Amino acid sequence: MVDRVDDEPETVRVQRPTPVPVDGPLRKAVRGFGELMITAGLVILLFVVYEVYVTDILSAEKQDEATTALDDKWNSNTVEPVDPQRQVQYDLIDGQAFAKMYIPVFGPDYHFSIVEGTTDKNLEVGPGHYIGTALPGNPGNFSVAGHRVGKGAPFNDLDLLSSCDAIVVETQTTWVVYRMLPTTGEEAGWAEGKAKNPKCAKVAPLKDLANTGASPYAKTVGQEIVTPAQGEVISPVPHFAGEVPVAQQAALMTLTTCHPRFSDKQRLIVHAVLTMSYPKANGFVPPELKEQ
Amino acid sequence: MYGWIWRHLPGPTPVRVLEALVLALAIIALLMFVVFPWAEPLLPFNNVTTPS
Repeated sequence: MVDRVDDEPETVRVQRPTPVPVDGPLRKAVRGFGELMITAGLVILLFVVYEVYVTDILSAEKQDEATTALDDKWNSNTVEPVDPQRQVQYDLIDGQAFAKMYIPVFGPDYHFSIVEGTTDKNLEVGPGHYIGTALPGNPGNFSVAGHRVGKGAPFNDLDLLSSCDAIVVETQTTWVVYRMLPTTGEEAGWAEGKAKNPKCAKVAPLKDLANTGASPYAKTVGQEIVTPAQGEVISPVPHFAGEVPVAQQAALMTLTTCHPRFSDKQRLIVHAVLTMSYPKANGFVPPELKEQ
Repeated sequence: MYGWIWRHLPGPTPVRVLEALVLALAIIALLMFVVFPWAEPLLPFNNVTTPS
């Protein structure tokens, strides 16, 4: 009797637990594949975050450094009295800033230091000057490339710039004001239309430029979208293969970025023309900088 | 894959959770600071220049 009572729990314990199913090779393979796919999706999402946000943070730091270096250089050089007759001297060192740009319609906080050169590394710092193209204020084509997405995205809103909007470039000695040229659609009715806007006082379709006959500037308009191979947009005279003596060249500024956003299928190009320049003086700020 | 990693993490559950978190962060850091900066120029997203 005593034995029976003791045995009872024994018999319960002896019952086998339900067996854990062993994963077959197919089940393992399917699960492994699924997990890999989920992981790949996460990595791609993370890449988007990197491209759009993280590169901004990294570039902001580099842009700040470049700006500080430029300010130091400008401040240290003012010890010598600047001779206004002397040609502006630039030390163009690859990857180092030599000028600042402002686009007042993009807001008072829109300013970037322009570095020399357009390699990937240069463009991480900020907008980059195409080596060999003209310098700010000079005849020819002062050409600058900039990122549209991430890396500070200096040219994020370049498509929103409209004709006559000012692009102000600050060099060590000068404020240089460029204004965007009329677009293809605006050229025809320019004189009756937008030309009446006070901002447009010195802006006119370039094809009307004094020249008789076929102007070398016939194809230079405010905004265009080109294929990546069309390097002629940054030639001294855009889209013109012949030679134009430097003295007869217009002083242009050209901005290039990718198009459409997030793609490198095409390039968005903005051309602007020099309308004004002021020598720098203590406390002087060009009125164009206050335009909205 | 994730199950295999979980089974191979040493220690009791709270410690494992912490370990898994550190592992995930390490992988994110590796991607952000090594892999993506290397891969990015090879991808067709952000070319802004024209040949000069």
